[in-house]
Amino acid sequence: MDLIKKIKENPIIKKLGFNRIVLACVLVLMYLILSLMVENFAGMPRIMSALNYVYFLGFLSLGVTFVIATGGIDFSIGPVMFCCALVSGYSLTSLGVPMLPSLIISLIVGLLFGMMNGYLVAYWKVPPFIVSMASMNIAKGVASVFTKTQSVSWPQAAKGGWFRSLVKVGKFPVGIIVFLVVAAICSIILNHTKAGRYILSLGSNREAVRLSGVDTKKWEMLAYAICGVLVGIAAIYFVGAYTTVQPGYGDQYNNEAIAGCVMGGTSMAGGLASIGGTVIGVFIIALLQEGILALGFTKDYQLIITGLIVIVAVYADVMARRRKN
Amino acid sequence: MGEVILQMIDIDKRFPGVHALNKVSFDVKRGEVHALMGENGAGKSTLMKVLTGIYTKDSGSIVFEGKEVEFHGAREAQDAGVVIVHQELNMVGHLTVAQNIFIGREFKKGIRIDDKKMNEEAAKLFEKLNINIDPTATMSDLTVGKQQMCEIAKAISHDAKVIIFDEPTAALTESEIEDLFKIIRDLRKQQMAIVYISHRMDEIKVITDRVTVMRDGCYVGTLVTEESTKDDIINMMVGRIIYEEPKTKSRVSEDAPVVLKVEHLNAGRMVQDVSFELRKGEILGFSGLMGAGRTETARAIFGADPKESGEIFVNGKKTVINSPEDAVKAGIGYLSEDRKRFGIVVQKTIAENTTMADLGNYMKGIFIDKKKEKKVAKEFVDSLSTKTPSVDQLVVNLSGGNQQKVVIAKWLCKNCDILIFDEPTRGIDVGAKNEIYKLMNKLAAEGKSIIMISSEMTEILRMSDRIVVMCEGKKTGELRIEDTTQEKIMNLATRDIN
Amino acid sequence: MGNRKIPAKLLKQEVIVFIVVIALLGFFCVASPDFRKYTTILTIMDYSYYIVLMAIGVSFPLITGGVDLSIGTGLVCYSLAGGYLIVHKGWPTGAAMVVSLLFGIIIGLINGILIGVMGLPPFLATLCTCMITRGLGSICSNNFGISWPTTGQPGSWFRSIFKLTIGDTKIPLGFVWVLLLAILMHFVLNHTKIGRYTIAIGSNKEAAILSGINVKFYHIMAYVISGFFAALASIAYSAVFATVLPGTGAGFELEAIGGAIIGGVSATGGAGSIIGTLIGVFVICLLKTGLPFIGLQANWQQIVTGVVLIGSVMVDIIKKRKESRK
Repeated sequence: MDLIKKIKENPIIKKLGFNRIVLACVLVLMYLILSLMVENFAGMPRIMSALNYVYFLGFLSLGVTFVIATGGIDFSIGPVMFCCALVSGYSLTSLGVPMLPSLIISLIVGLLFGMMNGYLVAYWKVPPFIVSMASMNIAKGVASVFTKTQSVSWPQAAKGGWFRSLVKVGKFPVGIIVFLVVAAICSIILNHTKAGRYILSLGSNREAVRLSGVDTKKWEMLAYAICGVLVGIAAIYFVGAYTTVQPGYGDQYNNEAIAGCVMGGTSMAGGLASIGGTVIGVFIIALLQEGILALGFTKDYQLIITGLIVIVAVYADVMARRRKN
Repeated sequence: MGEVILQMIDIDKRFPGVHALNKVSFDVKRGEVHALMGENGAGKSTLMKVLTGIYTKDSGSIVFEGKEVEFHGAREAQDAGVVIVHQELNMVGHLTVAQNIFIGREFKKGIRIDDKKMNEEAAKLFEKLNINIDPTATMSDLTVGKQQMCEIAKAISHDAKVIIFDEPTAALTESEIEDLFKIIRDLRKQQMAIVYISHRMDEIKVITDRVTVMRDGCYVGTLVTEESTKDDIINMMVGRIIYEEPKTKSRVSEDAPVVLKVEHLNAGRMVQDVSFELRKGEILGFSGLMGAGRTETARAIFGADPKESGEIFVNGKKTVINSPEDAVKAGIGYLSEDRKRFGIVVQKTIAENTTMADLGNYMKGIFIDKKKEKKVAKEFVDSLSTKTPSVDQLVVNLSGGNQQKVVIAKWLCKNCDILIFDEPTRGIDVGAKNEIYKLMNKLAAEGKSIIMISSEMTEILRMSDRIVVMCEGKKTGELRIEDTTQEKIMNLATRDIN
Repeated sequence: MGNRKIPAKLLKQEVIVFIVVIALLGFFCVASPDFRKYTTILTIMDYSYYIVLMAIGVSFPLITGGVDLSIGTGLVCYSLAGGYLIVHKGWPTGAAMVVSLLFGIIIGLINGILIGVMGLPPFLATLCTCMITRGLGSICSNNFGISWPTTGQPGSWFRSIFKLTIGDTKIPLGFVWVLLLAILMHFVLNHTKIGRYTIAIGSNKEAAILSGINVKFYHIMAYVISGFFAALASIAYSAVFATVLPGTGAGFELEAIGGAIIGGVSATGGAGSIIGTLIGVFVICLLKTGLPFIGLQANWQQIVTGVVLIGSVMVDIIKKRKESRK
């Protein structure tokens, strides 16, 4: 026990965060074990496939980190991401909107959902889970109505789909760079700007922040809006990797995004969030999904295992808080 | 009056750093109302918590009905017949009166809860107590007073032999207090033993048979109410010795500019037509009993709660304050009595808490200038002598006094000229108290203007240049420190209660 | 005599919602001649059974101040599990039903323990079991749709529980059972310890603990009831629809929770009425079946449900704000 304490006190480790180091070790260990168990797991195709998962899930996770930091929750992000991809994709393929405006439409749709959710939670005090449930269905409905319930396929790179170079150019995974840059920006927003300061503080003690003369409602709504924009980006990376989206789906990604976030050390009670942790958490989740498939299990096991992980991660958070009190 | 039913002998209890009860003895007889009095922090509540087993005593003994007992938790005490009617009510708002009274021990008919019988039993109880409440009314629809009556009925339905009332009248209107007294007299007639905790002098004279006074965790003495005067009791409560020298003369000249003027402020029942002026460099004490409406007044001025009417002038200019944002812009800072809930963000560092209200001035473009933030926080740590290894320390790790200094730093950082201190030394140990006092004096000398709400008489007398006394949501008087005595304050603070 | 005041108050919301139902019915009848047919009633009824059953169950977690998001995918999972036993293992229908019900109770129990004992946030715990039941359903059906015995096949008796065919007329018998169950649960909520303590937990948990109530047990019970009713709903669903598909079920919970909240269950806990829930669900069902008749795609219904849910919560919030101002 003393040794662990000593390690934790080490200034370098303190700076990086003990939990994040442990998490990173878990990630490496998982990778090694999977490489031993599955032939060719260490090969490029698997890594690229896992990275495709990392991109869109990563943006979702980053987004929901802001919301959870306020002490709220948003589990409409998966279906909203599909809604963004469908609305913008339909505009592109069927309404003749050029590529760049289409991508911007995706961001705007995400932003609108985020603002709606944020407005209802912050200004109306509607419980976040009700808002999430409603906006999840509204997103599905809007997507279905807009596309007349048809799936949308985004163009391949050769046919004007230049946006795919945001994901990869040749064999080079551009997406990972974009993701890490966006994560860095999120980290800066959360830790070095007014918005981040107030979002974290109000997640920890809303009333104290309000009594310091801060407009807490505005900042709380902003957290949901930031989440919305990131969901819009996630949509672009989803179609960049998987091309086709179908209306009516997207639920399972909610859980995976929340899993990445909570595993990374963001507390469900609000006030504590770590973008670095979320990034590592997302890698673990993506690797896990890839590993489950590689081990010959179906997608269904992914759902179950992710569900169990979230339960364990949240329970650990609950216990940590209980111990503190 | 019958024989002694409950006796507490030489009860001793220490908390870390505090000797909360120092060999306190107390007893109550059948058919008597025994008042337990003392200022905040005198140890009344602690004594009752020891009695009902919420705290365990370090030494001493409790004798109940001739046998030595030790209760483990409120439930056990309840089963034995010792019940507390708490100041905060514990009611399930969505259930009916009868359902609340019998919650946890419902009458049943098969698997069905027999609401009819519960209603009848509750009606019988109310009849016995001479209360007029419909057992089928929904609890949340009742007034606080009626809810309290229900709480009393619930206590009695437990076959209580000793009932402890903890500040029962704090939230009641005058007519409700009358009703309560009627019930207490009836209970006394029925040979119930009653412990009555209160601050209110006039109530004590009206309702109690004996008075025991506590001070600083010690037993001071017991008087028979009929044979003693109000002054006797007040003298025992505050003691002849005053630990700190009271202020004898105001430091503020009568023509100092008025920085804050409040006119005819109304906000609910607890703030009725309050007007006062605060001068530059002044410490204006707000005195009164618990629940006199002082905190509510402060919160209404600060915009934390909505107000109904009234005007506020800051530096002579009429100012509209609808939210804490407006108040802070006008240069008003509020230091709450409940720091953990309303003052600080415990999971954040000292530096982050210091700039909470003034973050706009610590920006470099869109980024927070953390270097500047830390530098300024360090300056405040030094000037307020906050004890901490660094400004990166999380506030949760600081002691109460140092947390208070962080809150003070927050408002000084925002350059607020008007500071409202609500119970500035609550939960702060004696040594640190002096430091906070010195700090407040220094701030006032530097030209800040301070409103200090305090329930501690010594604090009011030592710190204030002028004193506003409130009672029942109204301002009952204003005293200059030169002609203030404890008795005068007490008289004003209890003026409205008959 | 004594008990008259509360029901009168709750009935108010029920009456308002009932009027809304009648108004919707009238609107669709006027707007679309096709709507005015007996078959429409049959369709509405078919859609209503499983939603009503889920809604009755989920009212209990909602009244404790929680929520159960696992009922939708749970329903599909229990139905697939039961169907699998009938189709692939040759079990009699009755036995398979018992398995479905037990499955529902177990998931409810797990939810209850996660929330009541371990202290996880309700929406998160049940979001996880939602995903888990979805995975389990797909696994036990091997990712194929499963049909419980169709009319005419042996073991299809359970279908006539819900829709009785006499000669050429089909009678929506299921409504009778659903109504009886609603009345039964109304009794449970208002006249038994389970119901009383469910309300107490949602209204003031601290006071409930101080009154010596075994709060953990009753907290768990609320979720067990919810799981059990989701399983009952799975039987209704299997009986009404020909085939159950794995991977579906997400979104059912919204219709159920929406119905409960429209019917007067408070989104923040502490209050609710099962009869109100029953009526509230019919608002949702009417919209679902009625909108296509006035030319709106079926998907509009999802949007409308979402908006109606938010709207009814906002009305509740406005009401509370007004009350607190008094």
